[in-house]
Amino acid sequence: MSKFKKQNKKGAPGVNTSSLPDIVFMLLFFFMVATTTKESDPTVKVTQPEGVKAMDMTPYKQRSEIDFVYLGEPRNPARRSQFKFGYALFLDNVAQPNPGDLYNTNTISSWKMDKFTDKQGRLTVGIEDVITCIKADKGAPSGIIFDIRDELQEIDALTVAYAVKDNGNL
Amino acid sequence: MAKREIPEINAGSMADIAFLLLIFFLVTTTMDRDKAYKRSIPKKIEIEQKDKPEVEERDIMAIRANSKDELMVRSEIMTNPDEISDRILEWYRFNEQSNDVSSNFPLYSQITMDEIRSQVANAEKEFEEAEETPDIAEDFLTFKQAQVDEWKKKERALKLYGKPILREISQKAHIRVEVQVETGYELFAKIQSEIEEAIFELRDEKAKSIFNEGYGTIITRLAADGEKEDKEKFELLKILYPDRIIEVKPKN
Repeated sequence: MSKFKKQNKKGAPGVNTSSLPDIVFMLLFFFMVATTTKESDPTVKVTQPEGVKAMDMTPYKQRSEIDFVYLGEPRNPARRSQFKFGYALFLDNVAQPNPGDLYNTNTISSWKMDKFTDKQGRLTVGIEDVITCIKADKGAPSGIIFDIRDELQEIDALTVAYAVKDNGNL
Repeated sequence: MAKREIPEINAGSMADIAFLLLIFFLVTTTMDRDKAYKRSIPKKIEIEQKDKPEVEERDIMAIRANSKDELMVRSEIMTNPDEISDRILEWYRFNEQSNDVSSNFPLYSQITMDEIRSQVANAEKEFEEAEETPDIAEDFLTFKQAQVDEWKKKERALKLYGKPILREISQKAHIRVEVQVETGYELFAKIQSEIEEAIFELRDEKAKSIFNEGYGTIITRLAADGEKEDKEKFELLKILYPDRIIEVKPKN
């Protein structure tokens, strides 16, 4: 004489999953809007220093008015000794020696010039306004930054940007 | 024809498809935005300058760092790099209201709207004269044109400012960053960050009192669509607090 009838062997009722696609699509759209595409993973290790009030480079990226240069220690420890100060530049998927080693080959300026001639037709600004964004590692010697600046000055690419990790909110 | 019922499409796999897309976007994109400090490199000049231009000590806001990451701001050795921005603020603000000649800070000059207008007319006249001169150097013409533009910019700025006089910091006043080859990039970036912080604070305060909106909003909008109105606002703020930064190449 139990008050509660024993359930028949029906099993648990199935959960209605018809709204699952909607939820997932919503998430998908959120991520599509809130994120930007990742650039190639550099083969040099870059831990960016922190800074405040830095400028957002996204609008320049959308107009492709910006080129990125990475400066850090090569991930492969065997290669570190090949470079002066142990730091290497990374442009276009190849770790290059920093310009301090190769003054006469003009690594940066020829790379920048190539990039500029490639996209010249799509740009509304001259080479002096195309930003070269240097993403350097915390420990990198500042001398290399000035070597890069020197090479850019030679070809009149007169805008640089020093990348930092922004810890303030703008 | 017999009425046929349209078979329902099986949407059971829709979630799977959406998940696949979602995971693809999660993997290939990143949340953090690229943030950086924009700086310009001076144009290369071929001619060797014999006598260096005279700059008074008061006009230089020197920030120096050596290979051991030790800091010196003007003539003071500093252990806490967070204080750099306060020094820069002091350097900008000290003579802002009235000039104190005995201080070691840059002096301000003042100019009225009428004076600016006469300078515009003057510069335009000189430009026209230069244009009519036969065989004139191209560089000279560009220089004269730049002068006309400069004064016109000031005229627009003061009109927007809505005050009778424009007080401007000395033309030679600049922030000078001197580092050595082995100064760590972390400290170099910290110096840049402190400079930016100080200039942001100065311009933000001004922007709020004149336009009732923050400096951050103005520059974000300017970078995104580059509207004329924002450009003029930015120009005015730049005239009031110019960011003349000289980064000295370290000697080997």
